[in-house]
Amino acid sequence: MPSSLRLGYWLLIAPALGAMLVFYVWPLVQVLWLSVTEPYPGLQNYESLFGNRVISRIWWTTLEVCVLTTVITVMLGYIVAYAMTIVGEGQRTGMMLCVLLSLWLSVLIRAFAWVMLLRGNGVINEGLMSIGVVDEPLRLVRNQIGVLIGMVHFMLPLAVLPIYANMTGIQGRLISAARGLGASPARAFLLVFLPLSKPGIIAATILVFVFSLGFFITPALLGGGRVVMISEYIRVSFEETLRWGQATMLSTVLLFAVFLALGLVAWLVDLRQVFGAR
Amino acid sequence: MSILKSQYEKDLYPEIADTIDDATDFQRDLIEIAADRHAKGEIDRRGFLTALAGIGALGLAGVPGGAKAAAGELVVVNWGGPAVDAYQAAFGAPFTAATGTKVVIDGTGPLLSKIRAMVESGAVTWDVCDTGAASTLVLEKAGVIQAIDYSVVDKEKVVLDYAYDYGVANYLFSYILAYNAKRLDTAPESWADFWDTAAFPGMRTLRKQPNGMIEAAMFAAGKSMEEIYPIDLDLAMGKIKELRDDVIVWGSGSQSQELFRTGEVVMGNIWHTRANLLNRDMNGDVTWTWNQGIATAGMWNIPNNNPAGTESAMAFIASAQDPQQQVELFTLMGNGPANPAASDFVPEDRRWANPGQPENWSLQLTQDARWYQAESGKGDLTNDALARELYLDAMSG
Repeated sequence: MPSSLRLGYWLLIAPALGAMLVFYVWPLVQVLWLSVTEPYPGLQNYESLFGNRVISRIWWTTLEVCVLTTVITVMLGYIVAYAMTIVGEGQRTGMMLCVLLSLWLSVLIRAFAWVMLLRGNGVINEGLMSIGVVDEPLRLVRNQIGVLIGMVHFMLPLAVLPIYANMTGIQGRLISAARGLGASPARAFLLVFLPLSKPGIIAATILVFVFSLGFFITPALLGGGRVVMISEYIRVSFEETLRWGQATMLSTVLLFAVFLALGLVAWLVDLRQVFGAR
Repeated sequence: MSILKSQYEKDLYPEIADTIDDATDFQRDLIEIAADRHAKGEIDRRGFLTALAGIGALGLAGVPGGAKAAAGELVVVNWGGPAVDAYQAAFGAPFTAATGTKVVIDGTGPLLSKIRAMVESGAVTWDVCDTGAASTLVLEKAGVIQAIDYSVVDKEKVVLDYAYDYGVANYLFSYILAYNAKRLDTAPESWADFWDTAAFPGMRTLRKQPNGMIEAAMFAAGKSMEEIYPIDLDLAMGKIKELRDDVIVWGSGSQSQELFRTGEVVMGNIWHTRANLLNRDMNGDVTWTWNQGIATAGMWNIPNNNPAGTESAMAFIASAQDPQQQVELFTLMGNGPANPAASDFVPEDRRWANPGQPENWSLQLTQDARWYQAESGKGDLTNDALARELYLDAMSG
């Protein structure tokens, strides 16, 4: 590439890059800085990461909720995406619309709607009780089940879209060839289609897991104070107990956890291929 | 505190330093209630606005963008909304009539960070601030407010526990045990009953923050009124863990009301003002006991170098101790009068709803803001901060 052309590219991305530096990287550096200077300089904030029972428990809760959300979401998303590749044009448009519609709805509205549906005297429990399936209301919300339902619902489009995008690139001829060579439908799927859709699965997994890590509103509303994830604890440290050192330390660790997750995946697969850059 | 942090506090998160005071949350809640009542036309029937127009107070109320004192003026800052008119009617107009000093009620909110910034930059525009017991202790520690002159302000005219060196109570409010009588066979009478899920089945609600909740837990653990403070946090958190599977937490006052209204909970530890609204809205199904209620107070503070001068501000606080003025505020907003003598002026049919009424007051614990602000000995945390962390953990574990 001639150097003048290269300079041109740099000039084109300069405004976006500048905005990122000023409004994103710089505040981030400040957060990092606070985590090693508040309340006094040193690494004491990071020590509590290992010695503090409350913090370790909240990390485990966060991890547990994120892993469960990711596994359930990617599995459900895969099924939806697969269905979208085999149904007719009209149905596909309808399905896509439903997926996008839930993506466009405010997370707050969705969380409140789930509370209305799932609570003790909500539609679902009343319905189940009136047809005699259960005698007393199931505890579906304001606990981990509620959080998982809400989070999976929120993340589903984020899983469906990359998986679907990947699946549309898989040539149907390959499946036909496998069938023609005598493979059963299940075998053709497991040995041909599934491996080919791996990049989509990985992309969806990364997206969902990384989003889940910092999730805030859904756990706060559907967990009813009973499921505390790391972002809620950061809020409490900032706003209520005024432990800025601890809050910035946890934010920093969260950030690096995301980097770590991405790094791990990059080491396993080719990220550029996953996100369609090649 | 680093410069960076205080800058953030002032510019980005003006509320950060202020969330520590319950009175702040409570006051905002009162305003929400009053706005709601006003919308339903319930405050109007008291001739609220007519009275204001009569004394010419409406023109003064609610100066946008924050009031600035002129000569012969006194600026009182509270949390705005209907509280502006209510304070003007209850406290402002009588003071003006007696002294000729105009009272301006500024509804922009006495944020602690703002009071501190005003005093430290030498640009004080407020004379009297409406904060709370915990805020008073924080501001006192920061050295930005004046000691109350008890030769002007009468210690006899305020409930004993809330005449602090640097602040004096202007109203009372309580955390009480509210319950839905329709859905329980017998009425719960104590926090021990509240914790007894076998005898009183159904979900309960506790606040998202520990203030007022850990005192109830101590009562449930069998401690007497005198043994609550200093709070044994291990014991209290143990009790919280015991109950947590039957608990839904409330964040805002309206949420606590909502949980009762939708029938999700049968009992709760909530603010008396919200229980009062529930009682009315649900035709008496929801009621409460004052027994083992946890009472606390809103307080007046005077910033250092206030524009109208110490004398005038003290005189205002003394004037607002008048029992009838406090009853006026009780009627308009629901704040319990802080002057014990006011209970005689509360209309007979409202006495049961007044936290400071002697027969109600004697049943309650007065919350000890000093304990909350004291060092816990763990790290550099106050008891308040430590309790918040442990409570979050106990509730979610």
